Amino acid sequence: MGHEPSLFSRLARRISLVLGIGVALLVTAAWYYAETAANKAYDRLLVGAALQMAESLAVEDGKLAVRLPASAFELLGLAERDRIYYRVIDTHGRTLTGYDDLEMQMPPREPADVPNVQAGVYRGEPVRIARAVRPLADPAVNGRAYVIVAQTNEARSSLAWELTLRATGLVLVMSLLAFGGAMLAIRYALQPVERLGKAVRKRDPHDLTPVSVQVPRELDPFVGSINHFMGRLSERVDLLQRFIADAAHQIRTPLTALAAQLDIVGSSRLPEKDRQHFERARERVDELSRLTSQLLSHAMVIHRADSVQLEPVSLVDVARRAYRAAIPITVDPDIVISFEAPDDRPFVLGDAVSLREAVVNVIDNALRHGVDQRLEVRVTTANGEAHVEVEDDGPGIPPEQWEQATQRFATSKSDKGSTGLGFAIAQEVAKAHGGSLRFRTGDAGGFTVVLGLPLLEGARP
Amino acid sequence: MMNRILPVVLAVALSATAALADSGSTTFFKALGPEEGRLTIHSSTDLAAMKSLIADFQTIWPDTSIEYKEYLTNELNALAAEACRKQEPLGDLLLSSSVDQLVKLANDGCARPHNSPETARVAEWANWRDEVFGFTYEPAVFVYNAERVPPRDVPRTHLELADLLREQLDTYRGKVGTYDIRLSGIGYLLAFNDARQTSAVFGRLLESMARAATVARCCTGEILEEVAKGNLYIGYNMLGSYAYDAALRHPQLRVVVPRDYTLVLSRGALIPKNAVAAELGARFLDYLLSDRGQELARSNGFYFSEDGALPAEVDGPQNLKASGVAQPIRIGPALLAVQDRAQRQGFIDDWSKSLIELNSPGWTRE
Repeated sequence: MGHEPSLFSRLARRISLVLGIGVALLVTAAWYYAETAANKAYDRLLVGAALQMAESLAVEDGKLAVRLPASAFELLGLAERDRIYYRVIDTHGRTLTGYDDLEMQMPPREPADVPNVQAGVYRGEPVRIARAVRPLADPAVNGRAYVIVAQTNEARSSLAWELTLRATGLVLVMSLLAFGGAMLAIRYALQPVERLGKAVRKRDPHDLTPVSVQVPRELDPFVGSINHFMGRLSERVDLLQRFIADAAHQIRTPLTALAAQLDIVGSSRLPEKDRQHFERARERVDELSRLTSQLLSHAMVIHRADSVQLEPVSLVDVARRAYRAAIPITVDPDIVISFEAPDDRPFVLGDAVSLREAVVNVIDNALRHGVDQRLEVRVTTANGEAHVEVEDDGPGIPPEQWEQATQRFATSKSDKGSTGLGFAIAQEVAKAHGGSLRFRTGDAGGFTVVLGLPLLEGARP
Repeated sequence: MMNRILPVVLAVALSATAALADSGSTTFFKALGPEEGRLTIHSSTDLAAMKSLIADFQTIWPDTSIEYKEYLTNELNALAAEACRKQEPLGDLLLSSSVDQLVKLANDGCARPHNSPETARVAEWANWRDEVFGFTYEPAVFVYNAERVPPRDVPRTHLELADLLREQLDTYRGKVGTYDIRLSGIGYLLAFNDARQTSAVFGRLLESMARAATVARCCTGEILEEVAKGNLYIGYNMLGSYAYDAALRHPQLRVVVPRDYTLVLSRGALIPKNAVAAELGARFLDYLLSDRGQELARSNGFYFSEDGALPAEVDGPQNLKASGVAQPIRIGPALLAVQDRAQRQGFIDDWSKSLIELNSPGWTRE
């Protein structure tokens, strides 16, 4: 059977995908912000230095004099490793000092007095360039002087790197936490599914009552469907059961009549040749009527298991009653039959009618298929269980067929005919009472069928 | 481009005429064993101070020959900048006391970074981009001739020096020497940092020195020589290593480490980007920065160190670093401001105006 990927891995995969995309986006954003922040910080220094230099321009003796303040360079020197380029341009556009070829493209509509910063390339290296303007209104020197300052980007890049790296670290930690948390949450959220599956798996195949596991609202439709299906199945099974019971019941009446007719005919009046056929027909009718009553009994047991309230019953009483009912008056007198019960009468929680039916069927089975000369019925207790043991000295059932023996209409190879429903009924009853039907072979021969039931402690009426 | 180099070239031309003997001289140290590699060092450091270091280096690496070329700082800088611009090789290691010029070279992408256990130990203020390393620790000191300057006159702070020149103008007129910052890169670097340190004191000092007709010279050696001879009485802003070395040779020469603040210069080393034998340059740099190299430099040629005590008979605080007097000139981007050509021009103009033009009769190059 092909498997769809598990819910867990589906969720895990999608969540990691989302987280991965998130991490990529966040890191990109962090890098962008870090770069902006680094640029902003160092641009301020750059503009500050440019302004300081512009401020130092003065008119001396009718000429523009430049005394670049060392502090401006110290300001730029805060970016320790970066190169500094500068150019001072007088009112006629001539270079007063600095790097002659340092240029800055001015955006056409920018007000010229505001110091602004832009990225550029100087001597093959990326730089940030700032320009400050110094308007001069001296009679001798009139107009605008400019200071252009450029600085390489090492400090900015390393600051942007550092910021990005730290932000990335945080994002990764956060993502790992989110992923771990999500995985735990998914596992937790999927627990009810697992629980429901386990509950359904562990159910007895015969148990067709609604599933009663507590599940989250989301699983209600699923559980509803299961229960709906089970309900329909249960109805079908009930119907079938009832049909079988009705059929058995309907068959029994004509069967009884048939048996009576056969008795009336009697075998003595028949010629020797026909008598044999007659006897065989009678045996078959007997078998059929027994099967019919077993079918009825089985249907009854199942019905009662579903409907009758269990109450404390004395297992000895039940067993004795069954013993009396099961041993026919016409039993072979050569067979030694005994009934043993302990002094303390063990009680079990059960349905007396079903239990009796079970014991009757076991004894009946022993009489028909097992017993040779000895049949013992015992009630014992051991390890918190009460046992009804039926032992005979017949060949018994070989161990490899024990499991099969409790199935309906199982046939034993060692014996002619079928055990019919006897063991099936007994096992059905045992199960309905939380007990079991077991087999045992004694060391000195003999075959024992044990009906074990949980002992009811401390209930002595 | 021409425009930027022009003043430097002019300065080089000037310095070349002033001290022709010093510049461009080459000394060859043959490998002790069979020669495997040849290291070319272009330096503005006097060979005398480096000789023992080179010799010791060659005992560790006997297969290396060393070619040592000496220049003035500005000259070296101009050559290196030119070589870098043309993508031509110039030496495998540049040593210069004008670290601002090395920083400018590194900023222009003319340096090759170097990382090793030795460079990792360099103080943070003496390393920029793993490209420029400071390998010495040299306070800027006063020197005086004890035969000419009576003990009570000995200045111990910058202010005392200014006051002394003002109060005893007649005694010290024309008897104080310092760098001509138009010619000397170190002189400019020290003067610029003096001005940044305390502009008020520096202004006063400059004014007093101008009145006293201070003599400006290209190089430490010249001034030390004249102070030793007695032609000059006091030398201002001398490099401690040279001053102490001269004091060892001339007992009348005394060294004072100023007690208000002392600028500390670290000689810079840089491996040029286009170096032919960069790994040899790196090897020599690692040697300079190693314990062995530092130890030898301290006992032989450079004398001062960041953590140790002052050399014997130097007048000053016991331990430069612990006393808080030391003001190391940080090797970093701030030196680009020092190096700026307009800045330099402006500063030198101001300096010349105050020190020389105001006092032109006193200023002759003798």
